Amino acid sequence: MAIDKESEEFSIETKDLTKKFAKKKHRGIFGFLRKNQQNNKHNNVTVALDKLNLSIRPGELFGLLGPNGSGKTTTIKCLSTILIPDEGRAIVNGFDTQKETAMVRASLGMVVGGERTLYWKLTARDNLTYFASLYKMPRKKAKIRIEELLETFQLSDRADERLEDYSTGMRQKVAIARALLHDPPILLLDEPTLGLDPGFARQIRRQIRELSEKQGKTVLLTTHYMNEAEQLCDRVAFINNGKIVAVDTPNRLKARVKEKEIVEIAVYSPPADIEKQIRSLLPDAEVVKLIRGNEDEGSPSRIKIIGGTAEEHIGTVIDALRQNNVRIGSLNVGFPTLEDVFIKLTGAKLTEGRT
Amino acid sequence: MTQGTYQQTAYRNNLSVIWNEVVKNIKTLLAYPTIIVFWAIFPIFWFIPFILQGEAFVGGLESSSFAQITGTGEYIPFIVIGAILSSYVNTLLYGMGENIRKEAYQGTLDYVLAAPCNKAYVLIGKAVSESLSSTIFAISQLTISVLLFGMNITLGVMLPVSFIIILLILGLYGMSLLMAAFSLMYKQSYDLSESIGYIFYIFAPVRYPVESLPTWAQIIGKFIPLTYALIIVRSLMLLGSDLSSVYLEVIALVIIDVVLLVSGLYMFNKIEKKTRKSGIISHH
Repeated sequence: MAIDKESEEFSIETKDLTKKFAKKKHRGIFGFLRKNQQNNKHNNVTVALDKLNLSIRPGELFGLLGPNGSGKTTTIKCLSTILIPDEGRAIVNGFDTQKETAMVRASLGMVVGGERTLYWKLTARDNLTYFASLYKMPRKKAKIRIEELLETFQLSDRADERLEDYSTGMRQKVAIARALLHDPPILLLDEPTLGLDPGFARQIRRQIRELSEKQGKTVLLTTHYMNEAEQLCDRVAFINNGKIVAVDTPNRLKARVKEKEIVEIAVYSPPADIEKQIRSLLPDAEVVKLIRGNEDEGSPSRIKIIGGTAEEHIGTVIDALRQNNVRIGSLNVGFPTLEDVFIKLTGAKLTEGRT
Repeated sequence: MTQGTYQQTAYRNNLSVIWNEVVKNIKTLLAYPTIIVFWAIFPIFWFIPFILQGEAFVGGLESSSFAQITGTGEYIPFIVIGAILSSYVNTLLYGMGENIRKEAYQGTLDYVLAAPCNKAYVLIGKAVSESLSSTIFAISQLTISVLLFGMNITLGVMLPVSFIIILLILGLYGMSLLMAAFSLMYKQSYDLSESIGYIFYIFAPVRYPVESLPTWAQIIGKFIPLTYALIIVRSLMLLGSDLSSVYLEVIALVIIDVVLLVSGLYMFNKIEKKTRKSGIISHH
């Protein structure tokens, strides 16, 4: 089913959506002695969403990309009415999330928190039957729908086994089946492939694509896997520190750095100031970023350089690394990914926390 | 009709929510076989110490001074009724808060709260599940009392007794809504439910007749639904009274039920909204 690109109506629309959280105070019984130190109102508040504006068309598969703590899950929780925003408003399927809560809830299916959010002591069928009742589904209709979904997700053979005996991927399938129980027009999927092995992740991605293309569902997908967003999404929004940094199709976003080559060097044990040293050597490079890896787990750190010409950079950077006794694992010159665009726009990488 | 919404008749839908909540809780309970063993043994341990304590004090299982105060000399049925009715306090107050805490911990609470059904019926389902386990507990205790201590039960009084137990459960349901709200806010309500439980045991005539309490304590006891439930059930089962002779206590119990239900529902809705506003709802 095609997206209605001319549509003036949106399945999901937020206007200046703002959500702030009070920081937890751990004062203890003698906390009153420290009262004055913690009295600054601004220091005690985290702005999770900062005047967030989003417009998602009917049938669109829309990706929300950002690092941990950027506001992805808070956006989904505000849209699903689990959280009440402090300012601004959100409209879902034409209903205001604060005034028409029941209709918003009936219009949505969501996957937030993945496999943990099911009853592991119950079977897949029991879980789905229970949640169908919460969505006011008549018993007979629910029974038919549950059979359909078990079939779709290839769970029929093990539908009467407890979830504690399922693999992570199978439980995630049940979580997605639960979101589809009442056949909602809109799906909110928060990191649906997180922690899955590649095989299951591929299956889940294919099913998400089918839900959008064949069933016309509007899907808001949050992820920090760039490949997933590139493969699946019609449009992508970058979110950082609760703000939307850019919204466009993956190709148009990549075109923002397309004419520049990207140099990526895998390195081991780089000194803390290596990023600063390389930046001073390459004044014409737009971005020089050291992305710390986890060497104990076989993941080296990476130095990314965007802008300038690759040949000039390679020689200079290798010299600098040798002088610092840094071991080089590999070197790649390639075309930009969504992560490169994100780095260029925010200076942060998608897999790190709040900047 | 908007895609994704279902228009079932309200009462069928609400019954379905309650029924499925009860089924879910029972199936989850049955997944832990050791709990069944606990429920089979615990009823005996619960009230036997009280009986032995009473026997040691009065030198037997009947006492004339006890009969002067209560109108019945039989100590065992008096204690058994106290133990049975107070077990509803335990399971409903503690059970409801704990159930919400578990839902928050395992991550299912967000999904329950984000569903379009009325949450009061989910909570009724939880209360019914807790009451069912109390009722099984009560039946075990009564059976043990009949078999081991020769307690006599007239089947004719069981209908009005069941009616009074339902009234007690309604009042406790109102209080358990408060426990559920506390669990949403503070992620546990154990301390509060324990404290309320102890207040009930002191000021309601669970182990001793209400006349044993000083006047000021008797006044506090008049605000506790368990006090009226105990007085009525003991009158029905031990003194051979009928409901018409304790109608004032029945009216008082109904009034307390209405107050507790209305204030419990109001507080739950208010605190649920507050936790969604503050973001506490998603913590666990």
